[in-house]
Amino acid sequence: MPTHPGNPPATTRSASMDPLVITAHTLTSAAGTGITANAEALHSGVGGLRPCDLESVTLDTHIGRVPGVEAITLEGALAPFQCRNNQLAELGLRQDGFADAVAAAVERHGADRVAVLLGTSTSGIAATEAAYHRRDPQTGALPPDYDYRHTQNMFSLADFVATRFGLSGPAMVVSTACSSSAKVFADARRYIAAGLCDAAVVGGVDSLCGMTLYGFNALQLVAARPCTPLDRDRAGISIGEAAGFFLLERPSADATGPLLTGHGESSDAHHMSAPHPEGLGAATALQQALDRAGRHGDAIDYVLMHATATPANDGSEARALVRSLGPNPRAVGTKGLTGHTLGAAGAVGVAQALASLDGGFVPPTAGLNILDPELGLDARSEAESRAVHRVLVNAFGFGGNNCSLLLEAAP
Amino acid sequence: MNTIGLHAVGLLGPGLDDFDSARPILAGNAPLTSREVQAPPPGLLPANERRRTTATIRLALKVAEEATRDADRGQLRSVFASSSGDMDIIDRICDALTRPEPVVSPVQFHNSVHNAPAGNWSIATRNPAPATALSGYNASLAAGLLEAATLQLAEGGDVLLVCYDVPSMESFIHVRPIHHPFAVALRLGPVDKAPWRLELDLGGPATADRCVSDDLEALRGGNPAARALPLLERLVRGAPGNVTLAAPLGRSLNIRIEP
Repeated sequence: MPTHPGNPPATTRSASMDPLVITAHTLTSAAGTGITANAEALHSGVGGLRPCDLESVTLDTHIGRVPGVEAITLEGALAPFQCRNNQLAELGLRQDGFADAVAAAVERHGADRVAVLLGTSTSGIAATEAAYHRRDPQTGALPPDYDYRHTQNMFSLADFVATRFGLSGPAMVVSTACSSSAKVFADARRYIAAGLCDAAVVGGVDSLCGMTLYGFNALQLVAARPCTPLDRDRAGISIGEAAGFFLLERPSADATGPLLTGHGESSDAHHMSAPHPEGLGAATALQQALDRAGRHGDAIDYVLMHATATPANDGSEARALVRSLGPNPRAVGTKGLTGHTLGAAGAVGVAQALASLDGGFVPPTAGLNILDPELGLDARSEAESRAVHRVLVNAFGFGGNNCSLLLEAAP
Repeated sequence: MNTIGLHAVGLLGPGLDDFDSARPILAGNAPLTSREVQAPPPGLLPANERRRTTATIRLALKVAEEATRDADRGQLRSVFASSSGDMDIIDRICDALTRPEPVVSPVQFHNSVHNAPAGNWSIATRNPAPATALSGYNASLAAGLLEAATLQLAEGGDVLLVCYDVPSMESFIHVRPIHHPFAVALRLGPVDKAPWRLELDLGGPATADRCVSDDLEALRGGNPAARALPLLERLVRGAPGNVTLAAPLGRSLNIRIEP
């Protein structure tokens, strides 16, 4: 096993960039449909995990399932995109006036100047799983109505969102497992800085499917009871699904709101599915996010951790926080509300950070009973009402892929 | 966008064993002789990881190694662009899920992520720099080029772009016709001392350029990563020129090449 090389190389040292404004956003998760319901759940610490009742999955676990996804029908030009991931995307896009905000951005900038940069880990693979169940028993042929391009292909989500809004800016789907929808925020900064676009729809969607439930189960990372991040007795993840979207633009008289001021990205270079034990890669990402924003660690109100609730992940991330921010940093884990939404986790974290900046509270760590003293963190089970100015959001994925984002309240 | 340097190329496809040996074919001076693509387990990986590599990972890492022979592999940022990811694993897992008691292999599951080649590359090169993995369907190459170029322009230094796709499994060949393995790697960096300079321009709808060679043109349509062939033909011909690639959402990516 190679050892971690330690200090970040010169090429990744963080040049500062202009902040971007988040002019609109929306979140749909098991904790709620739309940002108001999600903010209430975030404040109360009461989420939406429930025993797994997904058709064709027989595992003893809890899931963060979004109600109403199956009722969404995609019609017209969107009909070929019909699959759980795009149904969940559509449910999300109908909330919080997000569609109107995108239309207004198209008016301001032009459809070809609005980028579509979205993250997912498994895209619409549930459609392929279903198609395999319906293979011809004689020939093994897939059913004729199965549409790979518009469902399971990784690009499907960006294609769907662009088609829905008539956007034709630069587009891609980033799929770096559970950091996917955090990394697209960093991409938006670079794309706008390079002059490729003037605004970007970013975020991510991941949806429940057999592959992730059985896959994480095979890795023995899934808890039977609802996940309890940062708890002494945490026993693994609960898998969830979510859709989170954000509209990013340069600050102007027309574009005001909370700011994305910092981003950091790194690789553990350690193992495909286990984090670096000392959290070195995570610490690098955190430090870069601070450096790019020109902030010191003591200016951060709290870290909205990745905190998946596996013993190893939370321990590694806690060491990264202590390394970057000093002893006993204020930290919050939220996957007890939503489950681990995988490729959507970054988007969920950013939306929760925005709710906290807007609502003036440090969220509780949902499900926390006895804080693991080994972590060396200040995490609490109750919300604390106070002004919040700056929140770091972490999202880490398989492949040792790390991303941290710094969100700041509107100036 | 501002000009960036292209410092090295990696290549693997049917009858194209690496970029250097393929130069005469790309220049139209030698015929393309179709051979099975050989992607050996990557020597840079520790033995444990090497055993667990899939055809997708081996394909991507083979061209990544070639394009970084003269580079500091421990530092450069990387972009892995693929339309479809590891179709073999998706096939096996989806098949396993049709059984009454589904059993998914843990190694297959962690290799199923789109960034499995990126993760293996960072482990192989002990490289803590950021790595990303993306898709733009048939235009994944153009999406990857834009991503790599914006990374290079934002902070300088070298950026490795690897674009690859494995062929679709038999049951998929009608729904996703990818007929042969293909991978290309481009090491981008500062214009200084670069053998080629590239200027990228994301344009409106335009027809993508075909290959000069009919044999290579036949390969181009059989794999999204082989959309790089017109660019590679232009690189070896040694004269300034333009190549147009298909970009996502019906756009085009125009590349001005200056040797």
